[in-house]
Amino acid sequence: MTINHILPFLSTAVMLVFVAHVLQRYFVRRQPHFLFWGIGLAMFGAGSFAEAYLALAWNKWVFFAWYLFGAALNAAWIGHGTLYLLVRKKWVHVVTAVLVIGSLFAGYLMLQVMPRLDTAVFTTDKLISQQYGTKVLEAGETAPAGALTVTTTYRGEEVTAVRGILPLGTPVRLTTPFFNIYGLLTLVGGAIYSAYLFWRKRVMPNRVIGNVLIAAGALLIGFASTLTRLGYGEYLYIGELVSAILMYAGFRFAARPQPDEVMQPVPAAAD
Amino acid sequence: MNEEKRANGKSHIPKDSFLFEKVVPVALILMGIITLGLILFAAGVLLGIVRF
Repeated sequence: MTINHILPFLSTAVMLVFVAHVLQRYFVRRQPHFLFWGIGLAMFGAGSFAEAYLALAWNKWVFFAWYLFGAALNAAWIGHGTLYLLVRKKWVHVVTAVLVIGSLFAGYLMLQVMPRLDTAVFTTDKLISQQYGTKVLEAGETAPAGALTVTTTYRGEEVTAVRGILPLGTPVRLTTPFFNIYGLLTLVGGAIYSAYLFWRKRVMPNRVIGNVLIAAGALLIGFASTLTRLGYGEYLYIGELVSAILMYAGFRFAARPQPDEVMQPVPAAAD
Repeated sequence: MNEEKRANGKSHIPKDSFLFEKVVPVALILMGIITLGLILFAAGVLLGIVRF
C-alpha cells in the first residue's frame, strides 16, 4: 500500500465534514447556493471515495461514480452554487435547467458505455486515474512497459493505443470539458471576483482571504485534473486532498464572524 | 452586486498590510492567468487540438 492509496480516504473524510457543514447551513438558511455547493461537494467526496475503493478492488458502479461525479460533474455543480450567490437574476434558473439536463445526459452517456468497459486492463497496482482512459500513441511514441495496446481505426486513421477502461472516443469524455470549463469559470472566477470586490472596498478581510483560498483550492484540482488528462495521474490524489483542505479552510475563514458583524449581523457571502 | 451591498459597514482591511497590499493582488492576477490557461486547455480538448 502506497501513500496514493491512503490520500483518497483522507480527502473523503475532509469532504464529508465539509458537505455536512454546507448542507447544515442550507437547511437553516434555505439559500440555493448552499444546496448546489453541498451537492457538488458531495460529488467531489463520492469521487474521492470511489478512488479509495478502486485502489483495493474493481466494481463497475464505483467506476461509474468515479468518472461521472468525480471527473465530470462536481466542479460545475459547486461553481453553479457560486453563480447563485453572486447573481440574483431569473436567468440563473435557466442555467440550472441546462446544468441538470446536461448532467442527466452525461449520466446517460456513461450508462451507455458501461457494457463496453475494458475491465481486463484494471489492476490495483495502478491508480484509477492512471488507467481509466485509452490513449492513442503518437508516431514514434512507444507504449510504457507492460501496457496492453490495441490497434484500431479512430477518426478514419489506423492507430495504436494504450488500452484503458473507457474505450477510445467514448462520447462521455467529450462532455467533461464543458462541465469543467463552466466549473472553472464560476467557481474560480466567482471566488476571484468576490475577493476582488471586498479587497477593492477594503472591507471584510476574512472574506478576501477565504475566497483566495477557495480559488486556490479549486485551481489546484483543475490543474491536477489537467495533468491527469495529459497522462500524469499520479498527482491527482494529493491535488484532491490539498484542494479539499484549502476550499474547506477558505469556507470556514470566509464564514468567520468579524467584530462588526457580531454587532450588526447580515447574510454572509461565502458562509 | 449583492456582495457590494453587503460590504458596507463591515470590518476593514488593515492599512499598510503586506498581505493585502502585495500578496493578495498578485495571487488574484496569477490565479486569473492560470484559470485562463486551464480553460484554453479544456477548449483544446474540445476542438481536438489536445488528443486523448
